[in-house]
Amino acid sequence: MKLSDIMSNAGLSMYAEVALVMFLFAFSIIVIRTFAPSRRRELSETSLLPLDDGHVAVRVPSSVNGRK
Amino acid sequence: MTLAPAVVGSRPVDHSANPPLDRFSYDDDIVRKFLFATLIWGVVGMLVGLLIALQLANPFFNFNTPWLSFGRLRPLHTNAVIFAFAGNAFFCGAYYSTQRLLKARMFSDAMSRFHFWGWQAIIVSAALTLPFGFTQAKEYAELEWPIDIAIAVVWVVFAVNFFATITRRRERHIYVAIWFYIASIITVAILHIFNNLSLPVGFLKSYSIYAGVQDAFMQWWYGHNAVAFFLTTPFLGLMYYFMPKAAEGPVYSYKLSILHFWSLVFMYIWAGPHHLHYTALPEWASTTGMLFSVMLWAPSWGGMINGLLTLRGAWHKVARDPILKFFVVAITAYGMATFEGPMLSIKSVNALAHYTDWIIAHVHTGALGWNGFMTFGMVYWLLPRLFQTEVYSKRAVEVHFWIASLGIVLYVTAIYSAGLTQGLMWRAFDQTGRLMYPDFVETVVKLLPMYWMRAVGGSLYLVGMFLFGWNILMTWKRRPSQYEVPVIEAAPLTPRFAEPLVPVPVPASLWGRFANAAWHRRWERAPMLFSALTLLTVVVASLFEILPTFLIKSNVPTIASVKPYTPLELAGRDIYISEGCFNCHSQMIRPFRYETERYGEYSKPGESVYDHPFLWGSRRIGPDLAREGGKYPDLWHVRHFENPRAVTANSIMPPYAQLLTEHVDFAGIQKRVDAMVMLGVPYGEAVNSAETMARAQANLIAAVIASQGGPSGLQDKKIVAIVAYVQRLGRDIQVQKTSSAIPTSGAKTP
Repeated sequence: MKLSDIMSNAGLSMYAEVALVMFLFAFSIIVIRTFAPSRRRELSETSLLPLDDGHVAVRVPSSVNGRK
Repeated sequence: MTLAPAVVGSRPVDHSANPPLDRFSYDDDIVRKFLFATLIWGVVGMLVGLLIALQLANPFFNFNTPWLSFGRLRPLHTNAVIFAFAGNAFFCGAYYSTQRLLKARMFSDAMSRFHFWGWQAIIVSAALTLPFGFTQAKEYAELEWPIDIAIAVVWVVFAVNFFATITRRRERHIYVAIWFYIASIITVAILHIFNNLSLPVGFLKSYSIYAGVQDAFMQWWYGHNAVAFFLTTPFLGLMYYFMPKAAEGPVYSYKLSILHFWSLVFMYIWAGPHHLHYTALPEWASTTGMLFSVMLWAPSWGGMINGLLTLRGAWHKVARDPILKFFVVAITAYGMATFEGPMLSIKSVNALAHYTDWIIAHVHTGALGWNGFMTFGMVYWLLPRLFQTEVYSKRAVEVHFWIASLGIVLYVTAIYSAGLTQGLMWRAFDQTGRLMYPDFVETVVKLLPMYWMRAVGGSLYLVGMFLFGWNILMTWKRRPSQYEVPVIEAAPLTPRFAEPLVPVPVPASLWGRFANAAWHRRWERAPMLFSALTLLTVVVASLFEILPTFLIKSNVPTIASVKPYTPLELAGRDIYISEGCFNCHSQMIRPFRYETERYGEYSKPGESVYDHPFLWGSRRIGPDLAREGGKYPDLWHVRHFENPRAVTANSIMPPYAQLLTEHVDFAGIQKRVDAMVMLGVPYGEAVNSAETMARAQANLIAAVIASQGGPSGLQDKKIVAIVAYVQRLGRDIQVQKTSSAIPTSGAKTP
């Protein structure tokens, strides 16, 4: 029996519903872990990352750039 | 957070527990390179866009020049804007933000430069091949196989450089913008490779390994997700970095960004089939695509709301800061486009909008508003930082914003009106139950004022683009004689790193331990595992739809009367592809009375089983051609190709007079037939005598044309091949239904 025969006889008419259930399951897990109280501080700190470009120790002239 | 010698957020740094600090600098030279590439290709892509907009308003603008005709330039416009303008903008922002978010210079400067020059070479290759008719005929994947391989190589180098930078980062946590970049890099690679699998038959010619329904499915799995993972997720990553920068405050809700990310990644990959509603695609796939498209509304708007609310407490800045204005309009356009996308995926709405200019308005709301304005805002924000001088003219930034906004409004207003007009005219019946506008060109003429208005809107947007370029160049000219390179200090990540300065108590219960979510925090700090999970999400969803489409026999019931194209018809089909006819003509009649009345019997999946690639099309600037065969005499087609307005007054189709003088490559036909045989097309006797059969059919068609009063001596010209192909379209089904099909020279089968 070929794979196409198996797939053809598998009765997969419920695909859209199965996909929806899969999504809801995964989504529930993500919601739970995102809103876990223990993560509040961590997420708050992480949200500040774009505002921190790092501590500039010193500025040095570039050797390759700039107006000639 | 990195334990740098400073106060980060509100947390004091404990120096005693840390190893010595690393010193490093960011590579901003690569960011500057991509910035200039964004500008140059943006101007080129939009100039071509304006030209093809004018061509639709008046075919004069095709200039009777084959390589300037609409069918050939339209893919150049889309490729230039998507992959050259938006692509370079993404790389520009990604190289800037990734280094700073990870506190690390890019892994390899050489790889960064290879990525830059490789990507530009690919764009140049596109510009040198598409106008000359080298195309795979797949939307946003038109480039031929050698360029596809180059894209894969350059993309892999980019990915290696990116992931190696992540492994060398000095920031423990990976910010959500990086997640979006990871999802984009992984998914684009998968989409590109699998949609472009093809069998080469020459240096710049190949046939898709998929046919008909399966090819259509793969194409729109790719096409939709190219929009998702090249124009949406990368720019969401940019939004999550540059919006807080410009607003000088953190994103509104980091939790929302997490939900938004996973929901988008999970749902987007399913939604492709909504591009194929009411076509020969199986109904289950169509419904699945619709369902997930509608669900996409929630995460899309989650992102939009998160972006806009990042301005909480800073709205007063918007009035005086044009950069924030650009971001606000960009995010609003994203919201509009992502409201409209799910709406268009609903079958009943799609029935009206599909094949019309409504879809063009939809994508331009996204491209001009979301991608364009995000890029402008980002670049204006970057200019003083990259060139270490003030922006040359803040007034010009403000003028750019208003002129481009006006351009968008004019563009989309005109084209939304055009789309609705088209859709409603196509389906209108009079009181006697007959089509109110049976002549397709009637529905075209009505659109011309709107096409002119679109050209005006596009011109304004382009004027804004020139202002953008002028401002960038003038700012660049004011740069210092030597840039200053900030040397950053940050602590390296070590295995000894103890993240929680305040230990989190571990709950005793199983549920408590689960909700504590330490397991997921470990995932997020393991970028490779995180990437693997993203990959799994995308692949599982893809296979869920792809496997049944390929493996369930009932999805593509065969039709006994459907035969392969003759060798000459195959050559004609390749000319049809080369001229880009599929950009304006669909070959897919939907099962609606207003379609079957106009075009004939609706299209069946089994009719395109030998179509490598499928040519169902996505737009009808001209009528559907699925049942074109036998509707007109051969000579009508010759006259029509030579000068469309000679036979159809007010037609906006470009002339193809060169087809009457250019020669068919008879010697190359055998190789093309052999390639089709390798792909499983049952060619019978043509396997060994393709050229002879093609010449015989060409002689027959040329004789028929001459006997109808047309020019003689066409037997070796391209026109006979394309006439053979067009006269074949839809004939197999007609043959099955009735034996009284109109006899034309092009209806032979092997």
